[in-house]
Amino acid sequence: MDKFSLFVPNFLPCREYFDPGNNNACPGCGLALGVRHVYKAADKAMEKALWENISDTKFFGIKTNPSLLKIKQKKNELIICLDNEAGGSLRDALKKQMPGMAVAEGFKYVATACPSYPFDLYDKVKKALDTEGKSYIHILCPCPEGWQFDPENSVKAGFSAVETLAFPLYEAVCGFYTLTVKTAKPKKLSDYITIQGRFSGVTDSEIAEAGAIVDKEYSKLLEKIQSSYSYTFETTGKVY
Amino acid sequence: MEASSGFLKKMIKCSLIEEGTAKPYKSGAHRKSLPEWDRDRCIKCGVCYIYCPDAAVYRLDDGFFDVENQKCKGCGICHSECWFGVISMVEER
Repeated sequence: MDKFSLFVPNFLPCREYFDPGNNNACPGCGLALGVRHVYKAADKAMEKALWENISDTKFFGIKTNPSLLKIKQKKNELIICLDNEAGGSLRDALKKQMPGMAVAEGFKYVATACPSYPFDLYDKVKKALDTEGKSYIHILCPCPEGWQFDPENSVKAGFSAVETLAFPLYEAVCGFYTLTVKTAKPKKLSDYITIQGRFSGVTDSEIAEAGAIVDKEYSKLLEKIQSSYSYTFETTGKVY
Repeated sequence: MEASSGFLKKMIKCSLIEEGTAKPYKSGAHRKSLPEWDRDRCIKCGVCYIYCPDAAVYRLDDGFFDVENQKCKGCGICHSECWFGVISMVEER
């Protein structure tokens, strides 16, 4: 399958809705890459898209200031959070609570995505714009300036975030969880932390603590997936 | 005094004189290097196209890929992601 996936980029639409002349992003910006693929997937729905004003947003009743992109259509509304983990500690970086809160709020489609997996991101945005009701996508954007690594490694940083289980890619359709990218052999968490200059002062004991957090979060996610799988199988006989 | 004056010079150099945005400025003005494709080994997979954050890589009619001079910021993602190491970053003078 590895060889086949190499040729897939040729089948994506080549229309670009992202204007590189109008953005003043740094070289190797993961956020710009994420926005580009979101625009590409949203296609004609982009005409009604709105960038939320950061100072005014109160998401789920809490004061947060992520950059939010809102795409409104007749039947549905998609909110995209572009998260570059600015100004957070190691514990904040590993605990993502927004997707879980979105599921609890009753969003019909909730997903996490990363621009290092562009087809996964593309499919999720397409799916979100097809579902009726509210939907939410949380995108992890590696930031070379903020995380302090070479700009050429920004796609690799996204790969290692997913492969070390620090940021698993999943989706929740009507509250039923499924993993979209499965990692058969997860790597050590220290691989993800040591490439980032912002965590250069982190000691080994803190890395061990962070590993415990990641294991706990991932086992919680696996429990949710297992329960939703068994529930759907018992009641309907189908696996979604 | 000398250090502060140097700092001032830098500030003036990279700040805008008029109010506004960086809209009229071409994004690729401050790069160091530009990617170059080795056409003998390229398999036209398009990984460089899909991972470019500035949408600077475009497809030619014969299936090979090339870069737009005014958009590329020289980040080197295409160089590091290319499966066969076809792309090399050439320094500009």
